[in-house]
This record gives sequence, C-alpha cells and structure tokens, in this order.
Amino acid sequence: MLSAQERAHIAQVWDLIAGHEASFGAELLLRLFTVYPSTKVYFRHLGDQPDEVQLLSHGQRMLQAVGVAVQYMDNLHAVLSPLADLHAQVLRVDPTNFPLVIQCFQVVLAAHLQGEYTVEMQAAWDKFLTGVAVVLTEKYR
Amino acid sequence: MVHFTAEEKAAITGLWGKVNVEEAGGEALGRLLVVYPWTQRFFDSFGNLSSASAIMGNPKVKAHGKKVLTSFGEAIKNLDNLKGAFAKLSELHCDKLHVDPENFRLLGNVIVIILATHFGREFTPDMQAAWQKLTNAVANALAHKYH
Repeated sequence: MLSAQERAHIAQVWDLIAGHEASFGAELLLRLFTVYPSTKVYFRHLGDQPDEVQLLSHGQRMLQAVGVAVQYMDNLHAVLSPLADLHAQVLRVDPTNFPLVIQCFQVVLAAHLQGEYTVEMQAAWDKFLTGVAVVLTEKYR
Repeated sequence: MVHFTAEEKAAITGLWGKVNVEEAGGEALGRLLVVYPWTQRFFDSFGNLSSASAIMGNPKVKAHGKKVLTSFGEAIKNLDNLKGAFAKLSELHCDKLHVDPENFRLLGNVIVIILATHFGREFTPDMQAAWQKLTNAVANALAHKYH
C-alpha cells in the first residue's frame, strides 16, 4: 500500500519524465544491456547491437506503460492485467530480472535529478516499481 | 577471481578520487535504512530511526556509514585480491555480526545510485557497469568466509 506522501513523490518525479518517455526509456535499456548483458536475451527482436532508434522506440513503450501505472497506481492489477498476461504467456522474463531493471531505473532517475533525488523519492519509486514487477509476474503460475 | 580491465579500473579509481567518503558513506547507509527498512534490524543501538529525516541526520548512522565506505575504499586499492582483502571482515560479518550477505548487495546498489546523484551524466552506462561489477565483487568477497 502506498501512503499519500509516497504517491506524491511518485507523481512529482513522473512529472519530470512525462513527455520524455523515449529518451528516459532508451537510457534505461542502454544501462540495462551494458550493466547486465544477460538481459539482452529477452530483446533479440532488437538485434545483436540495438541502435538508438530501436532503444528509443522500445524504451518509449516501456516508459509509457510505467506512466499508465503511475496514473492508476491504486489499481495496478486491473490496469496492468494485459501486460501481466503478456509477460506470463509470451515474454516469460525470469522474475530475477525485474530488480535489475529497477536498479537501472533508479540510476537513470538519480543521474537526471541528482541532488534533487531525495531519499524519500528513491524509497517511493523502489516500492512502486517493485509493486509493478509483482503484478507483471503474478500470473506466471 | 574477478578480473577488472584497465578501463574498469580507471573508471573506478577516477571517480573514487572525487568522492567525499564521509558524506557519501552517511548518505549510503542512511538511504539503505530508509529504502529497505528491514535492514534497521542490525542497528537497534543507533537511537532514533523513526523517520527518513531522523535516519539521515542520525550521527551514529553517519559515523558508521563513513566507516563502511572507508573500508570500501580499501577494496579499490586491492582490486586484484578482494577475497584476501576482505577475509577478516567476512568472518566478522558472519561470526559476530550475523549479517545476511544480501545486505551487501543492497548497500552496493545504493552506493551506485548515490554516485549517480553526485556525478549525473558523467556516470555513464560503462561507469555504472564497472561500479556494479565492483560492488558485486565486494559483496561476494564479504560473503566468502561464511559458513
């Protein structure tokens, strides 16, 4: 359960990302593939060396989904249900990979907001993204 | 044994030279205790940990954070023998402190995030990769003597 302050921190940070989903998403994926190369096995459709266009396109899709999650953060089960189906039936990403994405997401936020990335924002986003990951893997078995 | 390339070593030592260990250490431990509150289980004697601001301002947290990060700095001088360098600390964390090694990974991740707040764009994906490799290797070295 997210407290009122946590919801406020999540929305406040999202305001800075909104409109820039593509570039944030591309950086997220670039960091993920650079720091945790094994995650690339799930993105073979992007080719061996995904180029900037592909990272921007796929990154945008991922961050737009995060944006939807932010908008409906009190009802993630319902709003993420189609994505949960996709991850369970098609993508089947091993659950241990979600913390890796979350770590890279945190680094992207930290690198952009720098001194303004408060501990409260970090805590709220960690809790929120972990909640999203739980919903996305909920139908796995 | 973990091998760090010349580029990785340069990324690590270059950045480390610009880090204020005292400040960053307190920040790292504080953030760990706030973001992952269950880690507070090891710090009952630290006094007021009742809120984020209490934790971040707590003098014992700052002092201990500095100690931990200073020790981390020793790792950077011993990149070619992390297991040897941390053998005694590993025994201590197992036998006396009873710390779940998962906590070393959590703290390592928090250190990386703090570096990103300090260095911004300069903390490139390649920099992050070198540092995640280091924090991972330190965590493993600290877990190595557990029995």
